[in-house]
Amino acid sequence: MSEPHVSVRHVTKEFGAHRALTDMSLDVTAGEVVVIVGRSGCGKTTLLRLIAGLEVPDAGEVWLAGRQVAAAGRSLLVPHERNIGFVFQDLALWPHLTVRQNVEFVLESGGMPKPERTSRVQEALATVRVEELAARYPHELSGGEQQRVALARAIVARPAVLLMDEPLSSLDPDLRTTLRTELLRVQRASHVTMVYVTHDREDATVLAHRVIEMRGG
Amino acid sequence: MWGAWSSRTAVVGLALAVFVVCCLLPSGYLLAVSLGSATGLSALLIDARQRQLLSTTALLGVGTALVATIIGAPLGAALARVTMPAKALLRLALAAPVLFPPYIVALAWTYVCSNWIYTPGAAILVLGLVFYPLSMLATEVAMRRVDGRLEEAALLVAPRARVLRRITLPLVGPAVLAGGLVIFVLAISEFGVPGLLRVRVYTTEVFTAFAALYDFGRAIHLALPLLLLCLTVAAIAAWLVGDRLVTTSRPVGVRPVAFDDWRRAATTSVVAVLTIALVLPIAILVREALGARGLGAVLAGSREAIANSLWLAAVGATVVVIVGACLGYTRARAGSIGGRLADILLVVVFAVPSTIVGIGLIGLWNRPGAAGTVYGTDAMLVLGYLARFVPLTALALAANVRYVPVSQEEAAAVGGAGWLRTMWRIVLPQVRLGLAAAWMVALIMAFGELGVSILVAPPGEATLPIRVYTLIANTPPSHVAALALLQAAIVFLPLALLAAAMRVRERR
Repeated sequence: MSEPHVSVRHVTKEFGAHRALTDMSLDVTAGEVVVIVGRSGCGKTTLLRLIAGLEVPDAGEVWLAGRQVAAAGRSLLVPHERNIGFVFQDLALWPHLTVRQNVEFVLESGGMPKPERTSRVQEALATVRVEELAARYPHELSGGEQQRVALARAIVARPAVLLMDEPLSSLDPDLRTTLRTELLRVQRASHVTMVYVTHDREDATVLAHRVIEMRGG
Repeated sequence: MWGAWSSRTAVVGLALAVFVVCCLLPSGYLLAVSLGSATGLSALLIDARQRQLLSTTALLGVGTALVATIIGAPLGAALARVTMPAKALLRLALAAPVLFPPYIVALAWTYVCSNWIYTPGAAILVLGLVFYPLSMLATEVAMRRVDGRLEEAALLVAPRARVLRRITLPLVGPAVLAGGLVIFVLAISEFGVPGLLRVRVYTTEVFTAFAALYDFGRAIHLALPLLLLCLTVAAIAAWLVGDRLVTTSRPVGVRPVAFDDWRRAATTSVVAVLTIALVLPIAILVREALGARGLGAVLAGSREAIANSLWLAAVGATVVVIVGACLGYTRARAGSIGGRLADILLVVVFAVPSTIVGIGLIGLWNRPGAAGTVYGTDAMLVLGYLARFVPLTALALAANVRYVPVSQEEAAAVGGAGWLRTMWRIVLPQVRLGLAAAWMVALIMAFGELGVSILVAPPGEATLPIRVYTLIANTPPSHVAALALLQAAIVFLPLALLAAAMRVRERR
């Protein structure tokens, strides 16, 4: 069996008196889609934030592509160097930037030349079919369009791992089905490793190579 | 929920009437007198002398806004995002300079900088050191309101410095700009500092025209351009900030991203600013006062002024908070458009320069009949406090009331409680800390008020600021320093109480 692409080893995380995760372990192989289901408050989001580097574990380790990125009480690699794409539950589109600028911001830090950046942004927007919305601001988009832009922003840098935190939870059933199919298409085309958090069993059925149910951290 | 015949109508109606009479009518009177006559209208066509006045006034405003923002905005960012010990106390200490009467700070610097201090540049620096807390607080509030997830999303792809520059700062930009505009308005409205530092601006000229030359017409003539400038800039500032003046919520469960990498720089800046803006002026006054001879006689001679100041400030603060609470409640429960218009109106009224408020009050009340019985009494000073401080108090208390859900009032109403009972038992107990803080701030501001007081105080009556200001010209500096220090100490007392309350709250 190949080395796991994402490896969470015996991680514990507490927020004050509340223990979000207790001795949690998870391995995800390259190109795999793992869907994590579970009730609200069981630690799903905390797990994603630990992988992304937005939280530091109190105990245990986090490894990405064979490299340790977090140990107990400290981060060994800052979030922007972990090569991760993240779609937040509330999408977190930057309201003062246009769709194009939202997506391009991700590439600016890497020092990529402008022409290449432009072409990559165009490609990402085309992948999720929102090229015509490039000049608009987030508040000028519908919920589904915002969702697509958030996905474009997450994939434009061609991350090794895509983390998704209930990205479809705020959409109506028809739009959920459409975007779920879209997401599946993007993942199958790019073979990106994906950890997808949801409480919707249908998301799990359609997208997952493997489903993990979390109970109380 | 509450019908037109409920007690709310009477109470809020009364508060609105007080607001109209005290806050709107003085400026309205000046505008009507100025614009209602051909000579008044000519005030808008300013001559060469006025152009010089306008350019100095504008320089003072722009310079002060820049200096205050350069000092205040980074401090606000640090308070919002850098972990520091005893932050509530630090915040209060950093905010203290704005509560001191600005002319006292200016007075302190005149003792150590002899020639250079009497220039517009020095006035800008002094006012910048007095008003930076406004930029600091505006920036801190805006930084705390930024959705932490927006920054987290950026942190996944960019280092902290870039996230701050590209995501955080643009999001707080409008609030920082609005803070700068408010400081601009306050600086061009300021009378004490330019008067003391002999910088000729509109406010000092208005005062001179009225108090020295007894030319009421010229005072009004000079007041009009200043009033219009203040109202315009304040309206722009209020429009920029929008609903955020009163709405202070932020997304639940999202912690703001900390910028602790800059803790050392932040701590150094805090210490430097506290030293220059707070410790040094007080130390200079102490040094000067220690050389005083016959200080006992000076203090004894000022006893009446101190007593006047204290009781008038206490009465003024109480009335200001009562009226401000009623208006704040009304604002908090207003719809979005009405609320926004109310915010703009309150900010605009707050921006009216004190000398203009004073002249407006005199114009309104110095006349035969019932109004004349008020003029020449201490009530004029209370009216002045109301005119100056009700708008700010109403805005602050509106933000407090917004935290009390309307559903709690609805539950009380369903249970059969009237509006007054609901206020007394449900709403006010939940905003009591805000009310106490508002009262203390109003007390401090009323105690140090000079611009209106010096114009409307009854003959023979003086508050402590008036006495200090008038003694500057003909009393040994050590005596003036001692009185100024006494005034600062009296301001410090409620501030220390506020700090203690905040400390207790922070520990919880």
